[in-house]
Amino acid sequence: MSARGNVANRIVLAVLGLLLLAAGGLGLALSVGTFGAWRATYPVLPEEVRTFPDERPWFWWAVAGALLLIAVLALLWLLTQLKTDRTTRLDRTTDARDGYTTLHAGALTKAVEDDAIGIPGVTKASAHVHDHRWQELSLRVDLADSADIGAVRARLENAVVAHLREGVSDSSFPVSIELRPGGQ
Amino acid sequence: MTATHWVTRVLSALLAIALLLGSLLVVVEIVAAAFGRPPRLVPYPEWTSWLRSHSWNDWIVDSILVGFVVVGLLLLLLAFRRGKPATLSLAGRMPGVKVTASRRSVEKSLAAAASRTTGVAGATASVGRRTARIEARTVTRSEPDLRKEVESAVKARLDSLGLERPLRTRVNLSTKNAR
Repeated sequence: MSARGNVANRIVLAVLGLLLLAAGGLGLALSVGTFGAWRATYPVLPEEVRTFPDERPWFWWAVAGALLLIAVLALLWLLTQLKTDRTTRLDRTTDARDGYTTLHAGALTKAVEDDAIGIPGVTKASAHVHDHRWQELSLRVDLADSADIGAVRARLENAVVAHLREGVSDSSFPVSIELRPGGQ
Repeated sequence: MTATHWVTRVLSALLAIALLLGSLLVVVEIVAAAFGRPPRLVPYPEWTSWLRSHSWNDWIVDSILVGFVVVGLLLLLLAFRRGKPATLSLAGRMPGVKVTASRRSVEKSLAAAASRTTGVAGATASVGRRTARIEARTVTRSEPDLRKEVESAVKARLDSLGLERPLRTRVNLSTKNAR
């Protein structure tokens, strides 16, 4: 799931939480007579509210329109859960007039994984290319308990990242490395 | 992904499905009612009469409203809860390279480091944003320097990681028989 999806979830949950809290709080305030003791004995659906749409034929169509909008937003929210920011291609075009250059992310990640697994102390490596605001390679490395973390990190930065940047012809290509000592 | 992320994601998916289906269902009922059809899936005449026959101070209405407040608070808690970090940042050395260590692996590694101390039968570790807590089980009670030894082993392991924000360590010792 993308980081944007996580932010979207938190925002929507906060909005829904506030709406429920406001509805419940106002209802309870009515119930205890905060807005007048007489209101507490009023039906939840008063007659004037029930008959409000009778003279206004547009009312239910407006409600249907609002509900369709909510349905569309809910569908987008649902699709956000399935979205990932992983990409399978890297656009390395420098000048479109000279042609387009696309690099298959799978080839790059395989090379990075092979490079990383050759480091003593590394038990497993998996790499992916993400495309969020910018393209970035993320590398997850499982380490043996006995691994010298400092040495592994130095090899990853000085050799693996250097080879990767050489491969994509970008000396500042962003890389994110997750070390997993103990492999979890 | 942390447990909080998973709970948030699953709940979000369920709520999105509920909102989507609920909204479409009501739209279908509105269209059906416009053409003079009776309610099919939403028994709204019964719901309307129930709402007309119950007042705000009815216990059942109050119970539902309390439910709204509780669910609202839970959703807000989930939305704003930071939880434990999935990863811990390590001090940067190279521009453009971000290095982290997964929290669970750090916990496992710290527990292993503590367990290797002589006199410790087993240990568990829990890492938060600021503190690493170690629960170590000892074989014997009379080990005055054991806590220091465990703490030193854990600190050495943390130092080898080179975290961006150093963690405080808290070590609790308990005898194996006490468990």
